Amino acid sequence: MSALFEDHADQLKGQWITEMRESGLLEQMSDVETEARYTALYNTVVSTFRTGEFEDVEKYAKIITEEAVMHDMSVERIIGGILKLRDIYERFIFSKYRDDEEKLYQLLDSYEPIANNILTIVTMAFVEERERVIHEQQRAMMSLSTPVLQIREEILVLPLIGTVDSERAEQILEELLDRIVEVEASVVIIDLTGVPIIDSLVANHMIKTVHAAKMLGADTIITGISPANAQTLAGLGIDISMLITKNNLRAGLWHADKMLGFKVRIEDR
Amino acid sequence: MSEDEEMTKVNIASSADIIAARGKGRELAMKMGFNVVDQTKITTAISELTRNIVTYAGKGEVTIEKAQSETGDKNGIVVVCVDEGPGIKDIGLVLKGGVSTSGSLGLGISGAKQLMDEFEIKSKPGEGTIITIKKWLRRR
Amino acid sequence: MDIPILKIEDFLVVTIQSELSDDEISKLQEDILLRIKDVGATGLIIDITALDIVDSFMGRTLSNVAATAELLGAKTVVVGIRPAVAVTLVELGIRVKWNVNTALNLERGRKLLKQLIGAEQRGGVS
Repeated sequence: MSALFEDHADQLKGQWITEMRESGLLEQMSDVETEARYTALYNTVVSTFRTGEFEDVEKYAKIITEEAVMHDMSVERIIGGILKLRDIYERFIFSKYRDDEEKLYQLLDSYEPIANNILTIVTMAFVEERERVIHEQQRAMMSLSTPVLQIREEILVLPLIGTVDSERAEQILEELLDRIVEVEASVVIIDLTGVPIIDSLVANHMIKTVHAAKMLGADTIITGISPANAQTLAGLGIDISMLITKNNLRAGLWHADKMLGFKVRIEDR
Repeated sequence: MSEDEEMTKVNIASSADIIAARGKGRELAMKMGFNVVDQTKITTAISELTRNIVTYAGKGEVTIEKAQSETGDKNGIVVVCVDEGPGIKDIGLVLKGGVSTSGSLGLGISGAKQLMDEFEIKSKPGEGTIITIKKWLRRR
Repeated sequence: MDIPILKIEDFLVVTIQSELSDDEISKLQEDILLRIKDVGATGLIIDITALDIVDSFMGRTLSNVAATAELLGAKTVVVGIRPAVAVTLVELGIRVKWNVNTALNLERGRKLLKQLIGAEQRGGVS
């Protein structure tokens, strides 16, 4: 079967490129570049039909989808091209063996699984790459949004924003502890106003953080728990009795000042 | 050092060996690029398990080396602790941890499990114990 | 190896400089408690800044020393827990049984000791 595609390579490939161009699936490239790129892809596909091994397609899929996601190409563009080739091959098989029903179905039986698998590989590569990029962006966002701020002598504030996964929570904890040592903080205020959902994972991290900070001599005040989250927390059955909690950051800071014996005074200007 | 720089075996028979095993663990973890916190977790897990060997089995052996995940995408460290001690009757109970249930054995084993990414234990009364723990390098 | 136990004012200060074998730990425990009794110390600071690993055994030991010292009339503060060690101890779950007072460093440790002792003398519950 692959011999069929090889022998008529120029014809089929040319048809493929033409149809893609007509459907607007080709990116802006010179004719030479287009020829080179799609010849490579064509050959990869043909060799897959010949050998039944999908390694080359997988490698290729990874490369083109990485590029595609980076340039924010739509799914149609990426999958569309492969779909067209599949259709062209199929129609070609039909045209050649139209009069020999038995041979026709025999060929289709071996063609279809391979063709479908190639498509699946390319589609999955695209999906995985997209997800990987999204994940990376989320992490970058998270690291930007959880700075540890020194608000006074001996007082650190950590405003948490968004969702915090296990990995990130661990990073935050380590960063916080380093800062406690660095500025010799005695009080840490963790504000959860920006955390929409506090589940048992977050709650457990909070407790771990409180204990770890205590080992470094710092007390922790948690602020900004929404009423909804407060209910969730209470219902979780985790021992939160040792947590110092205040309504909001302002109340938390006031309490911290009290703990340290700081007094804020208004001076005459 | 031989080309097996990435694999160390330490015989465990006394508390001095615990310190030796920890040292090797930290050495390899540091070399592999684990951050300080992960180095400490790995070293502490080794301490917990080797201490159990000394206390409950009398002697055993710990192997520390590089590991690669089955999917090939992660690199890490693997520590295998083997002893021919009395074996553990009720693994489930021990894993629940806590001094009350099984003494420091449970505490040590569940502690090591908490600190690492992967944990596997094979043990039967009279057949000794094999504990395998792994930690993967963090994605950065 | 003999670990020095220093007396500063009314407090004893023990600085653990390196990894100790189990025997050395036992001996140190004994020495500390004897010393507390000897000088009538009201406070004890154990400095573990040099330890880059504290496993459950060491953790329990510190807890035991603190409990026994209390019975001998002295409060204990452990100082110098490194961030990596703190994270590990918490992960180990040792927090559940760890009623040990902790402070960042020697200076803060002394301050805390004074607070603890003062509170007790005033009849406060520790």
